Amino acid sequence: MTRDHRPASDFRQARQPARRPPLTRDQVRGFWFLSPLFGFIGLFILIPVLGTIADSLFRDIVYLPVRFVFLENFRALWADPSFWSAVRFSALFVLVSVPLEVLLGLGIALVLNEPFALRGWVRACILIPWAIPAAVAGRIFQLVYNFSYGAANYLLDLLSISREPLNWLGSDLSAFIAVVVADAWQTTPFAAIILLAGLAAIPEDLYGQAKVDQAGMVARFRHITLPLLKPVLIVTLLFRTIQALRIFDIIFVLTGGGPGGATESLSMLAYRHFAAGDFGYGSAASVVLFLMAVVAAIAYVRVGRFQET
Amino acid sequence: MNERQVKKLLVYLGAAATLLFCLGPFVYMLLTGLATEPDFLRPAKAFIPTWDHYHSVLFSETVHFVRYLINSIAISGISAVVSVFIAALGAYALTRLNIPGGRPILLIVLGISMFPPVSLISYLYKLMSALGWMNTYPALILPYIAWTLPLSLWIMVSYLEQVPQELDKAGLVDGCSRLKILVRIILPVAAPGLFATLLLAFIYAFNEFLIALMLTTDQAARTIPVGIALFEGLHGQVAWGEIMAAATVTTIPVVLLTLLFQRRIIQGLTRGAVKA
Amino acid sequence: MVYGCNAGQEKKAVVFAVGGAPGEVMVWEEVARAFTDESGIPMRILRQPTDTAQRRQGLLVALGSAQRDPDVFLMDIAWLGLFAAGGWLAPLGDVALEPFFIETVRQADIVDGQLIALPFSLDVGIVYYRTDLLTEPVPRTWQALAAAAARAQTRIQPHTPGFYGFVWQGAQYEGLVVNFLDFAGSQGGFLVAGDRILVDSPHNVAALAMMVDFIHTQAISPPNTYTEMKEEEVRRHYQGGDALFARNWPYAYPLHAAEGSPVRGKTGVMPLPAPENGSPAATLGGWHVGVSAFSDARAEAIQFALYLTSRPVQKLLALKLGLPPGRRELYTDEDILEKYPHYELLAEILRSARSRPILPNYTLISEIMQRRLSGALARDYSPAQALAMAQQEIDRMMARTRRDPPGSRPR
Repeated sequence: MTRDHRPASDFRQARQPARRPPLTRDQVRGFWFLSPLFGFIGLFILIPVLGTIADSLFRDIVYLPVRFVFLENFRALWADPSFWSAVRFSALFVLVSVPLEVLLGLGIALVLNEPFALRGWVRACILIPWAIPAAVAGRIFQLVYNFSYGAANYLLDLLSISREPLNWLGSDLSAFIAVVVADAWQTTPFAAIILLAGLAAIPEDLYGQAKVDQAGMVARFRHITLPLLKPVLIVTLLFRTIQALRIFDIIFVLTGGGPGGATESLSMLAYRHFAAGDFGYGSAASVVLFLMAVVAAIAYVRVGRFQET
Repeated sequence: MNERQVKKLLVYLGAAATLLFCLGPFVYMLLTGLATEPDFLRPAKAFIPTWDHYHSVLFSETVHFVRYLINSIAISGISAVVSVFIAALGAYALTRLNIPGGRPILLIVLGISMFPPVSLISYLYKLMSALGWMNTYPALILPYIAWTLPLSLWIMVSYLEQVPQELDKAGLVDGCSRLKILVRIILPVAAPGLFATLLLAFIYAFNEFLIALMLTTDQAARTIPVGIALFEGLHGQVAWGEIMAAATVTTIPVVLLTLLFQRRIIQGLTRGAVKA
Repeated sequence: MVYGCNAGQEKKAVVFAVGGAPGEVMVWEEVARAFTDESGIPMRILRQPTDTAQRRQGLLVALGSAQRDPDVFLMDIAWLGLFAAGGWLAPLGDVALEPFFIETVRQADIVDGQLIALPFSLDVGIVYYRTDLLTEPVPRTWQALAAAAARAQTRIQPHTPGFYGFVWQGAQYEGLVVNFLDFAGSQGGFLVAGDRILVDSPHNVAALAMMVDFIHTQAISPPNTYTEMKEEEVRRHYQGGDALFARNWPYAYPLHAAEGSPVRGKTGVMPLPAPENGSPAATLGGWHVGVSAFSDARAEAIQFALYLTSRPVQKLLALKLGLPPGRRELYTDEDILEKYPHYELLAEILRSARSRPILPNYTLISEIMQRRLSGALARDYSPAQALAMAQQEIDRMMARTRRDPPGSRPR
């Protein structure tokens, strides 16, 4: 990393209008301290992203000479039904899984915010799904949904919902549900933990006052908890949305995008083309995903700002 | 029933449901790893315990499981240590050295952490191929350091903000350099935070999948999530017992770490988020 | 990972990339040692994973970045188009092709008049059936097979709930495409017309409709056929005694016949049936050996490739690994026929077996087909719609990935 100082000094020049006083020695040292950070992020995140954006404008296929084609890959994506199916899946997945996970997480957080015996243990246990790699979670749920002997069909039978085993991963709807449930298992804890911290930050005496005012449990939640939790709620929603948009691991393992591509996310579509040596096309798909993430982030920041003022 | 009792009931029901939801699949994993056949839930079948799957996963060289695990631990460990050190340097600069535009820097770094990993992998693939580093440790360690840096930086900033500035002054008076102050004075004081960050960075790197899938081809550098995802039996059958035994061996250390240090992890996870 | 490294300083070691089951790799090491003893050329085995797609990925990385190792490797027949188009394969020179299946070599291994690979092992779909449960003569058409399967199922399923008439590979992977081609017979499948690949044909629609019908209407194939069934799931289902017919590869033969197998001594082998008013056509699978164009020990690597496809080595590997050899003459070899009596039938099928299109973008074609076939099996749309969509997507993809016309200068 001999050239690490470069991004830092660039940064300084960009940030420093001419009439500012010169930097103090501490500030110069500060930029030196930040330079490895900028170096790593620049070399292994920013440049790759820019490289991918550039590559999306090329016909970059492993067995052909590279050729500039401008927006040809995007035009091909536009005409590709599997692209639209992936966009639809990604959007639907965000719309269903994020609210579900945040609601579930809020429920868990509300429970864990109350004092009860063994609370510490329960709080520790919700970290377990979070700590398991998503790819491993995908494997566990692949077995859960196994047609012949999986736990899901066992439960259906046990709860007398259906005697006939259900081919979970065999229809668009049930495969979608299967993915949502597996993802909810893996990521709800994250939402719960963040929201729990948000709840804990609400001063206790506010509730005390409300109790004096005879406000019921529900009223207290609506008028005190929810408004005060809003900023944290928005942050949680933002994090979860960004993560849900880029879902890959669980789907790759659990459904492989099936049946018939019904559960293929944009990340999967892009990876599939990379793996087949079709880099330009895959890059174009990841650029679209990247833009979707940017739009989502901006939308949340807007909402957040709006709430503050 | 008065409100208090209703609430109590709700809390206990909620806690029970939470436990069932979180532990159910985990226990299922444990059981399958120990069962002779994965179909023990079928009516006419019984659960016959065995250590065979563990034995084959741990001692049969041909499944490479142990190798994957070593790769994972080494790659995530090195990445986490470097990432946390770089983040500590950065956090020190941002909290003490009066950097112009400190807040925007933090926000930009946070924004960068939201880039989808799939938009990095094709470039990384080409870069590592060109360098001849495909399927080696550096091919994963370098991106993982960058990948975990935003998280590490945010958490380190939140911890270093709480360390009193007077300590720096005392150090300066004693003639220490800034780097020395950070390493000798500040970091020992912020040791719990440092540890929490290390743990989180390790878990993030340990669980990473897509980059590892793209940049490794075999046991020389393949990590355990990829190993488990692509685990196949001799002829391509899904060997559930072995997969779940492998999954258990993989997750137990992480889960134990998590349980032991849950307070720190929760602190670390929430600091950044709630502040943002 | 380097195994069996004979540190020969005087001669550059030939690096052989090969994957497969653990037992197989041991045999490979033996073969490499024997070659070194015979020729004095040191060998190194570069061990690859079992998974086919991962093996391809590993070679793609090495060849795409023009690395000097590996020097020689095995390729699935479906990759040959890509490897040839990449210019990654060194011509093998003049080899007597007489002892091989000449038609196979012509379809797969000769590109632009150059021999760039040799069949190391051939694979082709066959149907296993239970001799104790099949009461009628061996079916010659898919319709007859379905009828026999349905009858057996009605008889047996009431007391054996998991029993199905016919199991095959329907999960969304390359095997699904091969099964589809097997169902489609000689008049269906991929028709190459100029630089167009035709899949939307009446024969193909009929074949796909039959596959859907087997799962959903006649229900002679289990409901998880299109979500879980790959070769090993099929093999285990059949071997567990829960099927009358199973479409699978020859590798299953010794496993079915192994000691302790519930179907041992009760299993017959037959060729794929024919579609209605058509004739059967088996789809060719298997592994081919090639030498890297970037090899730093090309002559030695070619020598090893020829050694691998020589008669004694092929015979040894067939006997040890149960891989049907690439050399035609071995299918009449007495020792082999004694161990694998079904090779006589295999040879017959192989003579007329049909290769998938040898194209550099075959993976992309196959992925489109896999999705649409799987979607049809899940009944998201009709077979006709599925193939119409696949056709459109393949046409677009082909236009996008076509090679530049000769004479045009790439940037």
